[in-house]
Amino acid sequence: MTSIAMQRRRATVSRVWAQFRSSRQGMIGLAVLLVFVAVALAAPLLADVRELNPVYARAQGNPQWGPPSVFPPLGTDYIRRSVWAQFVWGSRVSLFVGLAATVLTILIGSVVGIVAGFVGGKVDAVLMRVTEWFLVIPFLPLAIVLASVLGRNVWNIIFVIGITSWPSTARLVRAQVLTVKQRLFVDRARSLGAGGGHIVAHHILPNVSGLILANATLAVPISILTETTLSFLGLGDPTAASWGKTLEEAFVNGAMARNAWWYFLPAGLGILAVVLAFTLIGRTLEEIANPRLSRSR
Amino acid sequence: MRRLVVSLIAAVVAVSLVPIASAQEEEDEITLRVGLTQDWEVLNPTSGYTVAAYEVWNLHYATLTDKAADDFATVPGLAESWEEVEPGIEYVYTLREGLTWSDGEPLTAEDVAWNINTGRDQGWDNMVSTVGNIEATVIDERTVQLVSSVPDPKLPTMDVYLVPQHIWEPVATDYDTATQYAADDGVGSGPFVITEFTPGQSVVMAANPNYWGWEGEEPPYDQVIFRLFENPDAMVAALQQGELDAAQGFPASSWDALEADADIEVVAGQQGGFDEIAINGGAAEGQPHPALLDLEVRRAISHAIDRPAVIEDLWFGLASPLETISPSADPKWIPEIPEENQFTYDPERANQILDEAGYMDTDGDGIREMPDGTNPIVIRHAVNTDGDLAGSIGDLMVGWMGEIGIGVELEAYDQDALFGVIVDGTYDTFYWGWVPFVDPDPMLSYFTEAEIGNYNDANWFDPEYDALYTEQNQEVDPDRRLEIVHEMLTMFHAAAVYIPMYIAPDLQAYRTDTFEGWVKQPADIGPVMFSNSSPSYAQLTPIGADAGGSDINWLLWGGIAAVVVILAGVFVARRSKSTSDERE
Repeated sequence: MTSIAMQRRRATVSRVWAQFRSSRQGMIGLAVLLVFVAVALAAPLLADVRELNPVYARAQGNPQWGPPSVFPPLGTDYIRRSVWAQFVWGSRVSLFVGLAATVLTILIGSVVGIVAGFVGGKVDAVLMRVTEWFLVIPFLPLAIVLASVLGRNVWNIIFVIGITSWPSTARLVRAQVLTVKQRLFVDRARSLGAGGGHIVAHHILPNVSGLILANATLAVPISILTETTLSFLGLGDPTAASWGKTLEEAFVNGAMARNAWWYFLPAGLGILAVVLAFTLIGRTLEEIANPRLSRSR
Repeated sequence: MRRLVVSLIAAVVAVSLVPIASAQEEEDEITLRVGLTQDWEVLNPTSGYTVAAYEVWNLHYATLTDKAADDFATVPGLAESWEEVEPGIEYVYTLREGLTWSDGEPLTAEDVAWNINTGRDQGWDNMVSTVGNIEATVIDERTVQLVSSVPDPKLPTMDVYLVPQHIWEPVATDYDTATQYAADDGVGSGPFVITEFTPGQSVVMAANPNYWGWEGEEPPYDQVIFRLFENPDAMVAALQQGELDAAQGFPASSWDALEADADIEVVAGQQGGFDEIAINGGAAEGQPHPALLDLEVRRAISHAIDRPAVIEDLWFGLASPLETISPSADPKWIPEIPEENQFTYDPERANQILDEAGYMDTDGDGIREMPDGTNPIVIRHAVNTDGDLAGSIGDLMVGWMGEIGIGVELEAYDQDALFGVIVDGTYDTFYWGWVPFVDPDPMLSYFTEAEIGNYNDANWFDPEYDALYTEQNQEVDPDRRLEIVHEMLTMFHAAAVYIPMYIAPDLQAYRTDTFEGWVKQPADIGPVMFSNSSPSYAQLTPIGADAGGSDINWLLWGGIAAVVVILAGVFVARRSKSTSDERE
């Protein structure tokens, strides 16, 4: 890579960062997200992992259904486990599943979108029909069926989310590739003898990467919500203490009827905050990548 | 915001409409409304398997002999009397006079004999263990003779559901057609017959005017509606608000709230149902971790499971301790296990047993290895995702085994998948439960070699146990039979492949202001419904059918008033918004 290209790329990054910093919603989202990432990374320091073990909790003499006033900071659940420990360790699972599923979504969506847009013709037609097929299938039933057929572990949940949410990314990327492909510099590169692979890697990809990044950030909250939904429906990994699992257990064991708000509120608010943070960041990146969005406001 | 208002209106309309609907219902007919949380799945009495389906059959089909409400004693049903020609071998039954099916066709000895002989020849799942050795012969229209080819201690009890021959004979030509028939003909001989079945929602049953038990009088009420609830909390709320007259299978966590309600009576019905943690005994093709094939390891695991904690935390003290399995609704069949042989919770002792047997943690990772220092003991615990407590027990299992240096990997399966995993033997432990019948024979048969790959979910057998099983199956002296059964269960307990957790009560509640006359089966300790023959329904009488009419009107008018107020509010809000827009 030439140094000119390097410089230009570095300039782009610092321009995007400057624009991002000037956006209040983007910075709020980033701050909230950093707090949760810090909580997830520092989980072993914040809560003893043994507090997730009901046998340990009972041996410690924890109360059952203890409110926060009795067992600070967040009370205990129906089998005496600390809700704070579940919240802290649950943030790891929820963030991990959300991010990993997004990587898969974006990977499938981008590859399909770029190939369809760049190669065109019959390949495009076939890929787009497949995409449409996935688009028209109602998302949640498909996810439920796949999750129950594949079995319940974290990797399968990631796979299920990835395989069901890539089509919109594919269509967006394809549209962008179609416009980029028509630009003059692509024709120039081709007439200088560049092959398809080179054009995609050096000319198409850099021009759709902004869109992909913005789309990825917006896909994370959807992935996190899907993981929560599947867990809440009892289709999550029984061994992973995600926020969705906390909500499901609270619901199944009658926390609502008991008014045990401390059991379900932390996980619920945690999901809300993380989803909001990613949405704010995603919106900001989208506006930077596609300035028309911000001008129309 | 709009969506919220719309749903508010919808909620108000719905609330005000429900009483209107039930008010109309009450004018025409009196209905008993029962809530439950288990789907019926299959309503064919030859092949269905859920507790919910058995409840419907108990109402729909009368049996040749009935079971007493107090103690399950064999009492007259369709047969008003019987004569013992040879004990355990030959009996002659006389039917009541003038029996008819609900469609008016006569119910004769022909129906009885056809059911028993066809069920035996075609091998109907739910009948074959009772009638497998029996030949039925019609003597005259009201007399039928049963002859067993081997001594049968269960006779003269004949409690299989009898289906109408005139409907079933053309349909049931072989095993497949019989067991796959939808059984939606609605013709029965019990106190209530099915009029409407909506899978996943409800079963409606109307009083059968031809039922012999009414003794010529009008049925005391008109219909029973069973309503399925996905969420047990919603069922509890419906009972408290009077939308249900009774509810079955509510969670232990709701016990206190329901008990405190003055108009609701709660019942922790005992009928022998129990839950267990089963250890793979190794008789299937898939093998457990080799350590589990050692009796000492299984004994250590048994001592490490804190059953009192589960009874206290998950059952709030409502379940009772159990040391070996409960094979019958009658507790007399459970043997006393000497205290020194009981698997009391004692992790220290469990650790000691493992140390002495040579299972040491040689690499210091907290998990014990086999005596030769290889193959760390990590077991696969299968979690039944359809079970209410299975998830909690899975979490507890990880904790309990952690205390004695055994690792646990949780694997989740739904009910169907778990059944397959058990048959294949590709698990180490799982948690599930049974509700036994009155006679212990079926439950005992499950742990014989013949049931491997079918109902034997311990994947364990012992030729000595099998021999005792055959012996009790043909022992007509009740005292001797009881002795043999006690010996079998003591032997099964000592093998430590099946760790009974507790006798699990069926938690039920009914309103005391709508119907009276609930009957417990068995007396004092049993449930009031979903029992072995569910005698309550035919004995209930409604209380003050027409009370509360004015309340309903108030609710209706209140609901309409609320809708008007909300609509007015929305209208005003809209107006002020549009004028402010216009002003801009």
